[in-house]
Amino acid sequence: MIEITNLTKRYGQIKALNDVSFHVKKGEILGFLGPNGAGKSTTMNILTGYIPYTEGSVKVGGYEIMEQPEAVKKQIGYLPELPPLYQDMTVQEYLNFICDLKSVPQKVRKAQLDDILYMVKIGDIRKRLIRNLSKGYKQRVGVAQALVGNPPILILDEPTVGLDPSQIIEIRKLISALRHDHTIILSTHILSEVTAVCSSVVMINHGKVAASGSVSDFSATEGSVRKFTIHIVGDKSSVQKVISQTPGVRKVDFIRVDKDASVFMVESGKDVDVRRPLFNELSRNSMAILELRPVGRTLEEIFIDIVNKDKNSADQ
Amino acid sequence: MWTIYKREMNAYFRSPVAYCIIGFFMVLVGLFFWVRNLVQGSVYFSDVLSSIVTYLTFFAPLITMRLLADEKKNGTEVLLRTAPMPMSRVVVGKYLAGLTLYLVMIGITFIYPIMLTFMIDGGIPAGRNFSGYVAFILLGACYLAVSLFVSSFTENQVVAAVAGVVVLLIFYFMQSIGSTVGGNFGAVLQWLSPLKRYSDFAMGGFNLASLFYYISFTAVGVFLTVMNVERKRWN
Repeated sequence: MIEITNLTKRYGQIKALNDVSFHVKKGEILGFLGPNGAGKSTTMNILTGYIPYTEGSVKVGGYEIMEQPEAVKKQIGYLPELPPLYQDMTVQEYLNFICDLKSVPQKVRKAQLDDILYMVKIGDIRKRLIRNLSKGYKQRVGVAQALVGNPPILILDEPTVGLDPSQIIEIRKLISALRHDHTIILSTHILSEVTAVCSSVVMINHGKVAASGSVSDFSATEGSVRKFTIHIVGDKSSVQKVISQTPGVRKVDFIRVDKDASVFMVESGKDVDVRRPLFNELSRNSMAILELRPVGRTLEEIFIDIVNKDKNSADQ
Repeated sequence: MWTIYKREMNAYFRSPVAYCIIGFFMVLVGLFFWVRNLVQGSVYFSDVLSSIVTYLTFFAPLITMRLLADEKKNGTEVLLRTAPMPMSRVVVGKYLAGLTLYLVMIGITFIYPIMLTFMIDGGIPAGRNFSGYVAFILLGACYLAVSLFVSSFTENQVVAAVAGVVVLLIFYFMQSIGSTVGGNFGAVLQWLSPLKRYSDFAMGGFNLASLFYYISFTAVGVFLTVMNVERKRWN
């Protein structure tokens, strides 16, 4: 659906984007991650045809953006970082204006707007001036604007920034609801957001792609726990002995004593889940498990690693 | 294009901008009507218009200052640039909205020549009054195009207005600069001056070349604005 190849953007001497490539498949929700100033907004602005690129190619639905900008723009609904709202219009007038702008046919207009108002939950404020709306509502009107014309691709630049926790959850729910018939690119620097709604991730830093893959590649999921900490009641050395004798366990390290329990770090071999046999062994020896916590490399850790690694190599 | 036009017309009349501009303009027109027609006894309302031409230097930038600058400041420029509509239509739509406001202003002044026809036995000479209006409208159309072009360089309304006034003042003095400089260059400046043609026109000398001049002047101004707005795509 979206193919970005060797994309480079220069502002004078500064390279805002350097050889960025990634693809987004139809129906995917791509989390676009990076620290502030990494080039997220630049990429999105290029993708939506707001600014031109210097080198490379950007294809959306088979159309090259520099050659057929109109064909590309028709397919994209864009919510920029700052929702582009006219303060002197009411919500209804504004959305009508957007319908005109995107040439939505008169026949389907009313039904489509009603759908959008319902979905974004702004039906009750449609007669109010945008100027007087709260930030959360303004953000939702911004989302509604992106949905007008029913574009197959949605590009949302930090859609939850500045919202309160319940509004954030609402927007996330909305994005999840949209996943069925839309391809979505979502930029953010909130990592839990990615885990919550996205199916794949591209991380960029200093204008380069630092990592990419599906969300499950990045996070420790149920099936692939290979390292965990475990709190067990009992004598330290005998517990350690039982654990190390359990088949599949590769390494056991004692960490500390926590009240009457000992805490160990357990590692298993590749593709082996030792949690079940371990439970059986421990219960046969009447050793109670108080806590078991997988130690996965979370998205957060990976992200910070990447940012730090880049910083170190830049320092040297 | 009409989408943008409609939106701009709404924006003008929803904020105090349009009312302030029209009100201020009417005060000036009323003042000059009193001086030229009532005190000095001229039968030509076009004399009033000629006196107001100087002030058009200020009115045109006031009308166009928010058209482009406001979009940049509001962050709504993104909306227009990422919409499946070429920027040329956006710019033309905005220009036409500005022109409409200007025509509304002028339309209101029709009450004065109508008053004059009732006050003077035998009415007023239609020809010169009419061509005065036509000239005034054409000159205004040019001025609006120039100040729209100037405003496309900035996102600040005040800067847009001030720069517009400065550029229009250069045009205002072009004729006298031309005659001072003399020679071929001076002749070119005089030929280019929109005001010199205005006075010919307003005296009743309808002239196809001047009509063509005004229309192309306006078209070039709007075209350059489009180019300047589009430039961002290619830099």
